Amino acid sequence: MEKQTLIIVISAVFGLGSGIIMHRSDFCIAGMFRDLFLFRNSPWLRSLVLLIAISMLLFETARLLGILSYSLPSPLFGLPALTNLLGGIIFGIGMVLAGGCVVSTLYKLGAGSLPAACAFIGLLIGSTLYAEFQPQWQQLDNATRLSDAATLPQLLHLPQTLVIFITLVVLSAILYRWHIKGLLLRPSWVSGYLQPRTAAVLLAVIGLLSFSLLGMPIGVTTSYAKVGSFVEEILYPQHFAHLSYFHKQGFEYLLPLSNQTLHAGAGPFWDGLALVQFPLIVGIIVGSTLSAIRMKKFNCHFNIPPVQLLSALIGGIIMGLAARMSTACNIWHLLGGLPLLSLQSILFTLGLIPGAWLGTLLFTRFVVKA
Amino acid sequence: MIEKTNQLIEINVCGQICPSTLLTTLREVNKHRKLLSTGELCLDILTDNHDSTIRICEAVGNMGYNVEVAEQGNYYRISIAKIAINKSL
Repeated sequence: MEKQTLIIVISAVFGLGSGIIMHRSDFCIAGMFRDLFLFRNSPWLRSLVLLIAISMLLFETARLLGILSYSLPSPLFGLPALTNLLGGIIFGIGMVLAGGCVVSTLYKLGAGSLPAACAFIGLLIGSTLYAEFQPQWQQLDNATRLSDAATLPQLLHLPQTLVIFITLVVLSAILYRWHIKGLLLRPSWVSGYLQPRTAAVLLAVIGLLSFSLLGMPIGVTTSYAKVGSFVEEILYPQHFAHLSYFHKQGFEYLLPLSNQTLHAGAGPFWDGLALVQFPLIVGIIVGSTLSAIRMKKFNCHFNIPPVQLLSALIGGIIMGLAARMSTACNIWHLLGGLPLLSLQSILFTLGLIPGAWLGTLLFTRFVVKA
Repeated sequence: MIEKTNQLIEINVCGQICPSTLLTTLREVNKHRKLLSTGELCLDILTDNHDSTIRICEAVGNMGYNVEVAEQGNYYRISIAKIAINKSL
């Protein structure tokens, strides 16, 4: 594979940048959805809308200029099925119980959080457990397929640019209203705090660079399955040999930097996904650690109530499972798929809403009483 | 006008899972609302979660309390009282 070192460096830089931005701005998709139900107010959710709108504008402009080349359905975003909705619901429950989504778990881990470490272990376990029933889940996915269209424009039989333009006009009107009311700006008493709207712009730019240079939006969870498969192969080699999920290389994508088509899978191999996602994961953790040290807020506290650690572990397992069940994690769907109007991602996001509600009920009943 | 409170309760939620800091704060404010409303009590929350400094100030401020945030080393001290907070108590 050509230009391996360059790809690793670029991906690590994206990770470092994302880790710093997310840590400084308290980026947390779990919190955005959870707080809608818990506090009837979710200020960061408005900046998520901004992030999705900017990503949509950047992706479509880059596509029209020939900088970004993709065609859906593809292994990146396939055809929609009810399993995407179900995966979103389960993921929503998991992220609330874990106290953070797949990437906020990483940057909180980088800042020294013990619950985030438990959620991270849970994510590895959950992503690995999926291999136990992947063939049956794939059958369910095929049986509940909803459409032969991969995106909303395809479903509506309308030009992609037109649908994206209309969506952007609506989102811009909403965002402008929030801007006039000052709702995109957060008060802060913390030095070094990054406003969510600034973080949204920066993360959208990183998303575009990742997609155009590395051929895929930001995502991490397939690599969690990779780590799990590596451990399982060592501990239970006979059982591992029977898990078809870990022996496939079904993920195929074009790497624009080297103009190569790469094959990848969830198994313990150094492939196209490992090349991009491992440096990204390490980058996010390291970036967050550096940010926390710079702010003098790197902390490791060990006197955490055990029920909170258990909740984080269980939430992580549920998230890991659900990310595989719905083909990808929340970052992939929300920051990569929604801007492309992928139907898989729209279903996943719709599922997050009842999932976060259920997760909030469980969290306030069993973990921390409201 | 700065007045003195008689009691100080300190609650340490450093390192806890999100959103434990805000939930714990709201629970403690409701639990001690009588003493807080008469100005006899000041509630101090110690947290390392910077998002909580914003959320607590908004939520508890909207309930009519005075809230102050101070960075103290590797954590934040969020002081809540009905009256203006006197740091010399």
